[in-house]
Amino acid sequence: MAEEYAVELRGITKTFGPVVANHNVNLNLRKGEILSLLGENGSGKTTLMNMLSGIYTPDSGTILVDGKPVTISSPQDAKRLGIGMVHQHFKLVDVFSAADNIWMGAQEAGFVLKKDRYQKIEEMAKKFGFDLDPHKQVCNMAVSEKQTLEIIKVLYYGAKVIILDEPTAVLTVQEIDKLFGVLRRMKEQGHSIIIITHKLNEVMDISDRVAILRKGEYITTVDTKDTNEQELTEWMVGHKIDLNIERPKVEKLSPLLEIRDLTIRSDEGNVAIDHVSFYIRGGEMLGVAGIAGCGQKELCEAIAGLRPIESGKMIHKGENIVGLSPKEILAKGISMSFIPEDRLGMGLAPSMSITDNMILKNYNDTKGPFVDRKAGREDAQRVIDELGVVTPSTETPVRRLSGGNVQKVLLGREIKAGPNVIVTAYPVRGLDINSSYAIYNILNQQKKSGVGILFVGEDLDVMMALCDKILVLCHGKVMGVVHAHKTTKEELGLMMTGSLDLTHKYADKPAGYAADSLFDQEEEGK
Amino acid sequence: MRIHVVKREDCPLWKKILLYVGAVALALVLGGLVLLAMGVNPLEYYSKMFTMGMIGNKIAYKAVENYLKILVPLILTALGLSLAFKMRFWNIGGEGQFIVGAIAATAVAFLTGEALPQPLVLVLMCVAAMAAAGLLGVFVAALKVRFGTNETLLTLMLNYIALYVLTFLGETKGDWNFFLNPQSARPTFGSFASLVSFPKIMLGKFGLNICVLLTIVIGVLVYVYLKRTKQGYEIAVVGDSMGTARYAGMKVNTIVLRTVFFSACLIGLAAAFKVGTAGILSTSITDDVGWTGIIVAWLAQLNTVGIFLVSALIGVLQFGSTAAAATFSAVDSSFADMLQGVILFLVLAADFFTRFRVVITKKEVERHG
Amino acid sequence: MKKRILALALAGVMALGLAACSSKTGSTTDDKTQNSATGTSDSDFKVGAIYINKKSDTAGYTYAHNKGITTAMEELGLDPETQLVIVDEVPEEDDKVAAAVDNLVGEGCDIIFGISFGYLNAMEAKAAEYPEVIFSHATGYLSNDTNFNNYFGRIYQARYLTGVAAGLKSLETGNNNVGYVSAYGTEYAETCSGINGFTLGVQSVNPNATVYVKELGAWSDEQNEYAFAEELINSYNCGVIAQHCDSAQPQIAAEKAGVFGCGYNSDMTVDAPKAHLTAAVWNWDVYYKTAMETAMTCGGAENFVSAMGGSAYYEGLTKGLVGVSPLSDNCAPNTQAYLDAVKELIASGEWDVFSGVKLSYTLNDDGTVSITKTDAALKTNDGKEIVPAGGKSVEDSVITGTMNYFVEGVKVG
Repeated sequence: MAEEYAVELRGITKTFGPVVANHNVNLNLRKGEILSLLGENGSGKTTLMNMLSGIYTPDSGTILVDGKPVTISSPQDAKRLGIGMVHQHFKLVDVFSAADNIWMGAQEAGFVLKKDRYQKIEEMAKKFGFDLDPHKQVCNMAVSEKQTLEIIKVLYYGAKVIILDEPTAVLTVQEIDKLFGVLRRMKEQGHSIIIITHKLNEVMDISDRVAILRKGEYITTVDTKDTNEQELTEWMVGHKIDLNIERPKVEKLSPLLEIRDLTIRSDEGNVAIDHVSFYIRGGEMLGVAGIAGCGQKELCEAIAGLRPIESGKMIHKGENIVGLSPKEILAKGISMSFIPEDRLGMGLAPSMSITDNMILKNYNDTKGPFVDRKAGREDAQRVIDELGVVTPSTETPVRRLSGGNVQKVLLGREIKAGPNVIVTAYPVRGLDINSSYAIYNILNQQKKSGVGILFVGEDLDVMMALCDKILVLCHGKVMGVVHAHKTTKEELGLMMTGSLDLTHKYADKPAGYAADSLFDQEEEGK
Repeated sequence: MRIHVVKREDCPLWKKILLYVGAVALALVLGGLVLLAMGVNPLEYYSKMFTMGMIGNKIAYKAVENYLKILVPLILTALGLSLAFKMRFWNIGGEGQFIVGAIAATAVAFLTGEALPQPLVLVLMCVAAMAAAGLLGVFVAALKVRFGTNETLLTLMLNYIALYVLTFLGETKGDWNFFLNPQSARPTFGSFASLVSFPKIMLGKFGLNICVLLTIVIGVLVYVYLKRTKQGYEIAVVGDSMGTARYAGMKVNTIVLRTVFFSACLIGLAAAFKVGTAGILSTSITDDVGWTGIIVAWLAQLNTVGIFLVSALIGVLQFGSTAAAATFSAVDSSFADMLQGVILFLVLAADFFTRFRVVITKKEVERHG
Repeated sequence: MKKRILALALAGVMALGLAACSSKTGSTTDDKTQNSATGTSDSDFKVGAIYINKKSDTAGYTYAHNKGITTAMEELGLDPETQLVIVDEVPEEDDKVAAAVDNLVGEGCDIIFGISFGYLNAMEAKAAEYPEVIFSHATGYLSNDTNFNNYFGRIYQARYLTGVAAGLKSLETGNNNVGYVSAYGTEYAETCSGINGFTLGVQSVNPNATVYVKELGAWSDEQNEYAFAEELINSYNCGVIAQHCDSAQPQIAAEKAGVFGCGYNSDMTVDAPKAHLTAAVWNWDVYYKTAMETAMTCGGAENFVSAMGGSAYYEGLTKGLVGVSPLSDNCAPNTQAYLDAVKELIASGEWDVFSGVKLSYTLNDDGTVSITKTDAALKTNDGKEIVPAGGKSVEDSVITGTMNYFVEGVKVG
């Protein structure tokens, strides 16, 4: 008799218009196991899981739950079948308490809110070893708490099969350990878990088996203990790949950009960056690590002149840049590219063509009232050729390009202008491995030519391999700057959560002040 | 059965055309059924409508003149709106800006019409109308830029304020009120047609109003402005991504103010052309172009050439349905309005289907466990 | 998000557009067989009309004219189905009126009637542009010597009659307060003469009566028509409500309050069966028949005005252009006899309303009424003498154009 799986997918195909998101995918989940679903961005992992949780319905193929074929056409159906999904973007009501967020979707929720809901949910949380205050409002929660709440919600609705979509993306190392502990406990209690990720170390750490998707196709499923990271990568990418990130050694030049005592407020008026000091030298790549929303965005915007600062100083080659317009800062050779979560927000006009995006920063340099698109088209073609952008033409709207190509266009434009400081935030966000390496190469190329780079990133492994130094932010405060090749992920993790503060490691010198600072010049210049 | 609405990435042109034609056909069939119920032959009615009653008309050239009179303000208003819409500034205030422009142009006509040479008066009327409408637009834009107010609501409300001002001018007798006809015992707007009006170029009996030519010229200018100039480029960037525009060092506030000013200016010019041709104000001077213009701009997808085409078609609809309703005793203007409404509604529905797809999943949910 | 706003706006636009379109489509399709050209020269004759409201209206001003035109055509053997072209819902805007005229001329109309006052300038201009077509304009004052005339009627005579009916009712009920809901007051000679005519009628039978006038400030405003009538009844203690406005709302208000009323334009007994006495009505077909007949026989548009005997057609009870609707059972006894006597007097041309001669009545034993004429000055309600005792009626041009005073007995509420 064949083994009865908790969930079995047979020949699932799903298309969105001309795009085939999943093609003939077979997948099975044993009872009481943790299955990693591995694949690059755009390989169809999330789409596949959305079909399990009732958000999409497959064009063809069969879904079996406990050996019986089912049709899941809404999240309610999935709920009834005991399938729950924790999405990457939490689906919580900010102004409700933890308990109410769970309660409003519960089966037994009547018209009246009952007092005992807090108690019920607290009991539930204890059972799985969660630490949750049911009275706490979602808007007052940290990211990890919100995730915990999402998991409890799914469990409360009676899910036996739990799908987690990139749950570690928003967590620190310590929080990831905690989460994995919870997942193992759930497994022991008989739950089956699918975890979507593209981080190989996590796959090796948590899962019993790994299923691999590539470009919408199912590749294989292997037992974790029989495989290694190199093999998984090859399956994922489809060919052999060198996983080592290059860190070219470049002679350090004098400080290009120096930040002293910078304080910035967020849109909501909270202090986003709190008395931060650091500097970047030419030929140096400084990584900025921190949990999402720790002031990274505000810092980038302030340097680019897009956000007024509260106090502090910013000098570039000894000249003050505080209070300059974005245009003037641009003219000084400071380029900023910020890839937001939707990947199209800042720095690009998504509905406009590559050419039009190319001329964004210099359209006004020509004389007369007309835009010179001819030069822009040539620039676009050059970027396309040099960086290998895949596009039908220079006139294709940027929106139509795939993620990696969008980011190449963005970086290509920034580099084209010949900057001496590049501020780049999340430049590989959402990119596949090949594209990511292409971007790393571009940045290294710039570094070699003496450009100072501020690299705001999320993947600690990458930053430790790519950057020269790493600055760690926690709630807008600097926790210290460490040498990338000397530090460990654990150390970074502790600093990110504020448990470790290395700013006073060297008593002789204030943290973040360059020994050969150009600040004095600026003072004299006054 | 479940119904999903899915966004289309791309809709081939033939499919779009098919959808639009299908929508119009469906509307005509529906209208035809109503016509049959009223005892009117739908084919006769429609042939009258689509030829705008020009066949068998003793003075068909007059029909063309009147048709163009409807067209000019509609095109200009839609062009103006398209400027603001391109920037995603939802200027719903076409009506109000039109009215203010019309009042300003009329004031100039009355105050300077006798003293100055006619061409100068006409130019001054246009300038005054553009300035007045433009300032009304800038007022809203400034509030949005400064305080983040919602331009949709503000422009919408200003429409009514402008209309009431116009009504007030039309119904209030007083020595100061030079807008009124002094001869009439009852307050009515006075005509300045004898003082000044836009000249016509006579092509035989047919008089081609100079405004028609100017409108074509302005259409070309708007096209070039949006497609070729730096300012047009800025509008596109601001409309696409405000953050990107700021990041590129654009003075977004200035761009917003400038573009809304131009947008309203064109609408003001439409008003100047309209009153300068009619020679008199009226409370229904706008002919609803502020509203219809939104539909035109939307259906033309803010494309300048498209605006000319869509306006021409909507003009046929408006003019033709009135002409057709006149000759059938059972059909009154309500039917013409209804038919227009049905056609526009279905075309907008078709427009929805060019942007979205509806997917129907058939299988019933199987209960389990 | 931004998309949604536009969608919302579009939806708003659509909603507005549709709201403007939503109205009852008239079901006035006559079951008439299409009579093809009968071969007479009349079969080529085409009538054009420009209406302010819908041609499918079932009550009100436009309806009255449409009914007049179609009735006249039928009496003359013309077919309204094929020989009448109507552009309706034309606002009082020169450009639109001109376009409507172009349309009608293009359709080959021989005579074009414009029924709303504000059409006057455009019609004057177009009459000059198309000398081969006859233009005839209601309620205005412009005209030329050849193909453009204006027409109106002495509705104040009919209002005098309804005033008599109202006065008799006030005598019967013992309530001397009479109310009058009017579109406008002294701004328009049309409303002003109506109020004065009615008041003189009331006072001829009940000299102690006062007519309280409330002005709407609009030709049509159903809500206020009701509300103002209610106020006249409640605050001014009026026992009869007369009106010069479009809808039957004042009569309905009177019915609800248990008082009486005089309607306008159509027999409003159907709207307020327990309140309505009689209404001043128009019989437009009288004019339209004359005009069409003249147009068909005068031998060219340029002869129309002279064939009509003048450029202004202004008739009343004599020709039957105005009248009163059949008296309801609510009227005071013998009202019919009073009205018959006055009507005969006016129709004979012997006496008119705005003169220095006042009427008084004696009810005879045989049920007839005899009239006694007394010389008395026509005075305004602030004591100014308009016509000396025994003087002749004021000029027609005053009645149609410049009358801007109220006579004794009127009080503005």
